[in-house]
Amino acid sequence: MSDFSFLTDGAMYMIEHWNMLIMWLIGGLLIWLAIKKDFEPALLLPMGFGAILVNLPLPGVLGENGIVQWLFEHGIEASEAFPLLLFVGIGAMIDFGPLLSNPKMLLFGGAAQFGIFFTVLLAVLLGFPLKDAMSAGVIGAADGPTSILVSQQLQSNYMGAIAVAAYSYMALVPIIQPMAIRLVTTRKERQIRMPYNPQSVSRTTKILFPIIVTLIAGLIAPSSVALVGFLMFGNLIRECGKLETLSQTAQGPLANLITIFLGITIAFQMQADMFLNWGTLLIMALGLVAFIFDTIGGVVFAKILNLFLPKDKKINPMVGGAGISAFPMSARVIQKMALKEDNQNHLLMHAVGANVAGQIGSVVAGGIILSLAGIWGLS
Amino acid sequence: MKWMVMNLLAKAFDSALGPVQTEDIMKSLELMGKGMLGIFVVMVLIFILIFCLNRFTGNKKED
Repeated sequence: MSDFSFLTDGAMYMIEHWNMLIMWLIGGLLIWLAIKKDFEPALLLPMGFGAILVNLPLPGVLGENGIVQWLFEHGIEASEAFPLLLFVGIGAMIDFGPLLSNPKMLLFGGAAQFGIFFTVLLAVLLGFPLKDAMSAGVIGAADGPTSILVSQQLQSNYMGAIAVAAYSYMALVPIIQPMAIRLVTTRKERQIRMPYNPQSVSRTTKILFPIIVTLIAGLIAPSSVALVGFLMFGNLIRECGKLETLSQTAQGPLANLITIFLGITIAFQMQADMFLNWGTLLIMALGLVAFIFDTIGGVVFAKILNLFLPKDKKINPMVGGAGISAFPMSARVIQKMALKEDNQNHLLMHAVGANVAGQIGSVVAGGIILSLAGIWGLS
Repeated sequence: MKWMVMNLLAKAFDSALGPVQTEDIMKSLELMGKGMLGIFVVMVLIFILIFCLNRFTGNKKED
């Protein structure tokens, strides 16, 4: 009979390691959210399936020859290749035109990173070590690849939870942002109209912009240069006008391929022993705080600016809330809210400008955190 | 005084994850200050860059 024990070894292993069964449920929940609720399905579905895959009896996909471990070690741990390559695709998708024609919106891309730093402080007060607190704060970048890259470089123990939180809350932007904005604005402020008079933008500007931004980032925040550089490289491919096929490849097949493997690779960090602890729950809560305070940071900054602006140049504070990196979802949310308050108030292009500024702001924030972590000997 | 406040905060927030490090509170405040300042410096530089690019290449409007 003992010859057939291989048929029951797996079941016996699972009984001993019952916490893996909880991870199956969590994996199932992520798959349900992806399919049924349409929550960032491209990432949450592979992560959910991966969570089940890495919580099966060894040596499955883990261990020296396990494919998920190999993907993690080579695709993320060694050089953060997956998140960076995804940035090439994201860069190729972004049209910086609305920002280049209305550069004032850059300020909101900066102000709306406040939630990151507020969350770091809160996480430290909750007892997280500084490197984990910094990684949790970056959930507020509303930028999955940046969150993954920073938490990996800081060797946070909560990388799996951080990735799940980053992508889950990004899907919840249409719920989180209106709530946060209403909390700190009056109806009258939400009804402020902003005429849109964009400047024309030359092709030379669009080509030089990604190159010079990379130079600025490289000189001021060297740790952000991989993130900014790959984002801007993708954008240069898009804007140069000579590489249409490469641009389409970066936006489509490259981004899709990386997305498939990024999700399942992140699941490496969702092994029951690493994932199931109080810290994970707190990280999820902190991620929500980060998103809320990012939005509030942008909105309050716009309100402060309004104190100094003439009556006819006032900014609708909701535009400040679009300065997060969740593109283009956040801009759409602001447009929808503006139309709800006043059906003739079109803020979309202003919000898109702030939103693409948020893309730059979030990677710069990630870079600054990594720079200071390096100085403090945390990475 | 500063350390007294930090110690008070550390005690108030002493959590299930372990004791709060007062040194980390200082560092996270420093990160907040330097981080927000750094982002605004980069954003202002990019603003100046866009202003210059639009000014010097604006006569070649193609879009």
